[in-house]
Amino acid sequence: MACQMRTMFFLILAYLLLTANPEWSNVVLGAAVAVLVMALIPRTADVRECQGFLKVVPAALQYGVILGVDLVKSGIQVARIVLHPKLPIRPGIVAVPAGCRSDLGRALSAHAMTLTPGQLVVGIDESGMLYTHCLDTTDAYASMTRAQETRAELLQRIFLSPQ
Amino acid sequence: MQTVLFEILAAAAVITGTFFSVVGVLGFIRMPDVYTRLHATGKVGVFGVVFLLIAAVIETPLGWGKGLFLIFFLLVTGAVTAHAIASAAYHINIPMEGKGDAGRDSGDTPPPWEPRA
Amino acid sequence: MTGLFNMILYVALSVHIILMGVAFVHLWHGENAVDRLIGYDLLGTLTLAVLVLVSLIYRQSLYIDVALALAVLSFVGSVALAKYLADDKMF
Repeated sequence: MACQMRTMFFLILAYLLLTANPEWSNVVLGAAVAVLVMALIPRTADVRECQGFLKVVPAALQYGVILGVDLVKSGIQVARIVLHPKLPIRPGIVAVPAGCRSDLGRALSAHAMTLTPGQLVVGIDESGMLYTHCLDTTDAYASMTRAQETRAELLQRIFLSPQ
Repeated sequence: MQTVLFEILAAAAVITGTFFSVVGVLGFIRMPDVYTRLHATGKVGVFGVVFLLIAAVIETPLGWGKGLFLIFFLLVTGAVTAHAIASAAYHINIPMEGKGDAGRDSGDTPPPWEPRA
Repeated sequence: MTGLFNMILYVALSVHIILMGVAFVHLWHGENAVDRLIGYDLLGTLTLAVLVLVSLIYRQSLYIDVALALAVLSFVGSVALAKYLADDKMF
């Protein structure tokens, strides 16, 4: 039940952001739309505990800050490589262990890794190995594994369960 | 005074966004193979639109909510689209520049470049 | 000041339209299917940028709604085409 309340909270928030009209009637209409959407979407198996919603906030904030810094750095780095007259790239594929067991953790890891500078996940296999295409493969493996360990630990704190 | 300041901010955002769009298309032309092209277009192209949207939030009578929602949506879907296209290219064995086994020389990871069925 | 800002907007709009032409030529002469798919996706992103610039020029937020719908449709189209290329079937 707590999980459904959380989903509904985010749905109503998105509705209010889209309509930009914080009157009470509009909030009620948004709640009705949220209930309709949640009735239409097929329910996935809800076995996770959803307690301690507030403890999640610092971990989520740290994750967001790391993601934002990586995003800005990736834009600047790709721009520098493209504008360099000699195109200094050494492309190749590096395999990085994800460190998460659930599908959601792996998907979020792949998304975060795609946003980090010069990396693009091209595939995930059953054992959780992220095949990452790198623009510059010179000693990329060590730093990528370290970044992925930090990310996996943060994801575990966000979802409050061993992912 | 304040409107002039906002206008300068919006103009800076428009110039930065146009710069990133030019860089994205330039990378699309210059890069040697499909995967490296995805780096240029998937990241830098989305960056250009995000900066233009910041200018639009500052300058047009658009609420912060819709602009922020669209920026968030673009940042999520840009990465997902790049991932989907790269995965498709990996599945149908599009040739790539450079070596495909960079993970092998520095650890005990399995050889990553195996074309899958 | 407003005149200068408008001039910057018009220059940015022309640059984006030229970039759309370049991306279209590259899409036409792509070397394989995935290359053309990247061109299609880039064309969608540039159309989004042009819509945002038009909304800036007319100082109207109506065009941003069009851009929102276009962003959703372009995303779904790109992902569906990529899945079709990978699996030889759509669903």
